[in-house]
Amino acid sequence: MSENGYIIEGRDLVKAYGTGRAQVRVLRGLNLAVARGEFVSVMGPSGCGKSTLLHVLGLITPADSGVVALDGEPAPDGEGGRAALRRERIGFVFQRFNLLNVLSAIDNVAISLRLRGQKLDGNVRHLFEWMGVAHVMRRRPAEMSIGEQQRVAVVRALAHRPAIVLADEPTGNLDSENAEALLALLVNLNRQFAQTIVMITHSPAAAAHADRVVTMRDGRILHATS
Amino acid sequence: MGNLPLANILRHKLRSVLSAVGIGIGICMLVTLSGLARGSLYEVADRWESVDAELIVYPRIWGDNVTTLSGVGLPDRRIVHLPEAHPDIVIDAVPAFLWRMELAGQDQLVVGVDSAAEAWKRLTGGRTLIRGRWCEQDVRADDGRTASQWLTETLLADEPDTTPPGESPRLPDWPETQPAGAPRHDAVLSMRHIQAQLRQRGGFELVIDARLADAGGYHVGQTVRAGNHDWRIVGVVPAGGLGRVFMPRRVAQFVFGSGDIRVSTLGFVKLRDGVEPGEAAARLTDATRQAVQVRQYRHMLEEKFGVMFRYVDMVNVIALVIAFLFIMVTLYTMVLQRTRDIAILKACGASNGFILRQVMGESLLLTAAGLVAGVGMSFLAAWGIETTRPLLTVTITWRWLVTAAGVAAVGAVASALYPAWRATRVDVAAALTLE
Ligand SMILES: Nc1ncnc2c1ncn2[C@@H]1O[C@H](COP(=O)(O)OP(=O)(O)OP(=O)(O)O)[C@@H](O)[C@H]1O
Ligand SMILES: [Mg+2]
Repeated sequence: MSENGYIIEGRDLVKAYGTGRAQVRVLRGLNLAVARGEFVSVMGPSGCGKSTLLHVLGLITPADSGVVALDGEPAPDGEGGRAALRRERIGFVFQRFNLLNVLSAIDNVAISLRLRGQKLDGNVRHLFEWMGVAHVMRRRPAEMSIGEQQRVAVVRALAHRPAIVLADEPTGNLDSENAEALLALLVNLNRQFAQTIVMITHSPAAAAHADRVVTMRDGRILHATS
Repeated sequence: MGNLPLANILRHKLRSVLSAVGIGIGICMLVTLSGLARGSLYEVADRWESVDAELIVYPRIWGDNVTTLSGVGLPDRRIVHLPEAHPDIVIDAVPAFLWRMELAGQDQLVVGVDSAAEAWKRLTGGRTLIRGRWCEQDVRADDGRTASQWLTETLLADEPDTTPPGESPRLPDWPETQPAGAPRHDAVLSMRHIQAQLRQRGGFELVIDARLADAGGYHVGQTVRAGNHDWRIVGVVPAGGLGRVFMPRRVAQFVFGSGDIRVSTLGFVKLRDGVEPGEAAARLTDATRQAVQVRQYRHMLEEKFGVMFRYVDMVNVIALVIAFLFIMVTLYTMVLQRTRDIAILKACGASNGFILRQVMGESLLLTAAGLVAGVGMSFLAAWGIETTRPLLTVTITWRWLVTAAGVAAVGAVASALYPAWRATRVDVAAALTLE
């Protein structure tokens, strides 16, 4: 762990799409630091750049300037090194279409482990049970409800024991009942296993489950509440 | 397990099957056309090499390649004197008159060979009759002479062949073949008379090989029309000898050699054990006679028909290129359709190598399925061709199967390169954000 204790940190992040008049400046010197074991929610109006922030923090999209540091170590510039960090430290859950359609739930987890040089083990089965989706393990996404798909996505995000889970509106496509269930599982995960989670959401109700809620506006983090 | 390439292929069954069939057709064409071209050619070469002789002798003026020649060639005496003239190297020399006749819907090599001393066994590679008998064995003329004997004695009796070696023998006259009292100028009557003589002395008889018998549905005792004459099939030999059709040499000379029964097409020379065929060939070659090893015939065929191989190979290359362009387009559209899947894998940290392997894996699986289908189709096609056209030979060799597999592997990798590269370039954020 780094001196300041932040497991992931974005410093002075700047990101724009396009050039000239058509340029959209999405991140404008954004700072966000997340401590180990923290559950942070990021809120903000649609189009303010929440997903972009998550992609930058998750080393999918490089920032134009600024630094993303994992455990205090600035992430490398090269795609090879960044992909290696994604494999080791990060688990993603997206709003939907998390799973490969042609593979069963268990195979979706297996391929994510395989590209990380790992194999299916008992831990994965426990995760399926713990997330309440053991019964859909052999089914393909088309044969599951969206709620089940999202919970399988969480299993996949956790299976390789990542340091950080980055979730982009994981409940955005769920009805309130399913959303509550998923959020309860994330809270449990955070409490029981001290899993660090950064979750983006539109919904204040969802955000309220987190330890800390931050709001984005004009490409920056506006203020923090606890 | 989570084998993504396999899952993708199984998911899009119709597309996968069509791709595999496309590859399969390419592979099948490669194996079958090559097998047909080379098989039919090498079957001929094999038949020549089955002859129990080391050398062939033919007129030197014919040059190096005698694969398509037939009819009048080398004077008999330039052949039959060889054992006497070169006793140290030659055991036997058998003249043969070659001709072509259409039987079973195809041009067949007809070999005129003597029944005397069972010369025909040398040309059938020692194969003995499986049905019927050899020609000229059932003579119905009072004097008991065979057609060959009758022709020889009638046409050559008064006129021993004294042409010096190297000179063309003079054509004989045959007025004495006119029956007594017939008008001498009536050539048609004379010809009828000769034909009648030949017929009752077993002259118009054929021995065919088993394959031709199968192909034409011929049986012993049947009369067939070919080369403007009616022939009676009297025997069947196993396939694999020099020709598919054998007949008395004298009759062949007389009927197809413009009436001159002193000239054959070429001769087969059997050498003594231990004689080096190359040296022997050099010794038997002179100003008018060329001697070459029977083995050379294969090279002559390749030389003559090699251009056909090139055409066949060109057609095959085009078929395979089309098949693999098809695979490439299929893979490319699959990559475009699956940008989200690829993006998810990349978000999970999949390396370019991993992505590349998924696309390659899919290509190799499709191609492997195509290869299996293609090889299966090839054997089916070979069976179909040999059943419907029994005289064609499709030789499917290990060499060509391995070549097909190699071509398939290279094609699979080559056609996957661009789609795989495109897959590694997928913009993860855009693919995950945009609907
Ligand atoms: N690949 C891109 N190219 C150009 N512009 C982009 C791209 N991705 C995002 N943008 C723009 O950047 C801005 C921020 O997008 P982003 O997806 O980060 O917003 P968001 O806060 O996640 O919105 P939402 O809540 O609707 O998901 C938007 O105006 C969007 O149009
Ligand atoms: Mg978003």
